[in-house]
Amino acid sequence: MTTHDWYVENRAGHVARSLEPAEERTFRDHLVRCDECAREVARLERELAWLPMGVAPVAPAPGLARRMAGAILDRPSRWRRYLPLGAAAAVALVAAGVALAGSDERRDLRVLLAAREQELVALQDTLSVLRQAHQVLQTRISMGDHQGGLLIFQDAGSHRWAVIVHGLPPAPTGSVYQFWFITETGMVRSVEVDAETRRPAFLTLPMPGVSAPVMGAALTMEPVVNRSSEPRGVMLAHVVF
Amino acid sequence: MPPRPGDAGPSDVPSAGRRRLTLAGEASLRRRLVARDEQALVELIEVASPWLLGVTQSMLSDPDEAEEVVLQVFASAWDRAGSLGDEHESLLPWLLRIARNRAIDRLRRRRRWRLKLARADAYGELTPPSAPTAEVDEAGRPGWHVHESVHAALAALPDEQREAVRLAYFRGLTHSEIASELGIPMGTVKTRLRLAFGKLRVTLAHIKDWVL
Repeated sequence: MTTHDWYVENRAGHVARSLEPAEERTFRDHLVRCDECAREVARLERELAWLPMGVAPVAPAPGLARRMAGAILDRPSRWRRYLPLGAAAAVALVAAGVALAGSDERRDLRVLLAAREQELVALQDTLSVLRQAHQVLQTRISMGDHQGGLLIFQDAGSHRWAVIVHGLPPAPTGSVYQFWFITETGMVRSVEVDAETRRPAFLTLPMPGVSAPVMGAALTMEPVVNRSSEPRGVMLAHVVF
Repeated sequence: MPPRPGDAGPSDVPSAGRRRLTLAGEASLRRRLVARDEQALVELIEVASPWLLGVTQSMLSDPDEAEEVVLQVFASAWDRAGSLGDEHESLLPWLLRIARNRAIDRLRRRRRWRLKLARADAYGELTPPSAPTAEVDEAGRPGWHVHESVHAALAALPDEQREAVRLAYFRGLTHSEIASELGIPMGTVKTRLRLAFGKLRVTLAHIKDWVL
């Protein structure tokens, strides 16, 4: 039995979610790298999509639909708590700009104000992706003593992602952190990530220009010399929808 | 999960009494959900909740917790309404997958899952349609034809394979838990599941394009 045979044998277990936790992690790591298994798993999931309907339906209690809809619609927006932060940041930046503009060094200050305004626009843009995200994904990253994470806000409206990478040390000399999109037809190289231990890295990324649907994302550590379209380095994190 | 009297093979599903959303109907519902039409949310819950409750109650053996999970599923769907315009997957299988995954997550958080399993056995395996829904016009329920087809496909499996599917897919047990439950080697569990899914993917292929 080859190593790959193990993955072939366990495709059904992955779809059924009956693999042991350690096996499941191994299988998911493999899925990121193996187009054949990713394709077969996607096909198996499609073909078995209706299998849960082998269970007979249960008549809901009277009025359940209205009650559930009411509960869903009455929830406070999950982004509402972020709005005061965004507003406060915007006010602070504008106030700083106005205060600086009142000094004698007007020319330098106008340049500074323009830079701040650009930062404000960028902040508002990032905030819009966060506010409109319909899906938020996160996963942990372990690197030696460092415990970091990858957080993705997916905005289907603008077809962009806000990506936050935090808790990672700077990449070792000769290596870079590389962000990848996982599509139905394979991995698509995205941007390199500049990591600092004390500050998270923020990225706002458009969807890759490929026709295949994006299924997830991955972060690897690649040798600087690797410019290939496939990851060759260490897989640090991946998430699949 | 013994076959029910009168179960028909997948190709013999009776056409009388079928009612389902047409492709256009589902597309319309999807568009209204994307447009945040609150009435569309109510309609989606009305159509899909019996099936989601069926799966979650069967897995969790707790009607209150099942309803809680189903509420979370619809809330999640509403939050992701913007992506519902992507029509690569029918709505109901998508909702069923989320519901099943959430039910499995809950099952695995339970430290005393064996106790729940005993309660599940008392509750009954894949619930016979006549028990909780006797007063409902099942033949007219959207999706009923799919249920009959899937049920027949499951019933056609050899007993040992059907049992493996029941424990893995409808109870959320892992391979080692199934092996322990059935007193067989883990490799045998994997083989039975692989064979069963191989058969199911063939027998269920004809319903892959159905809508609600």
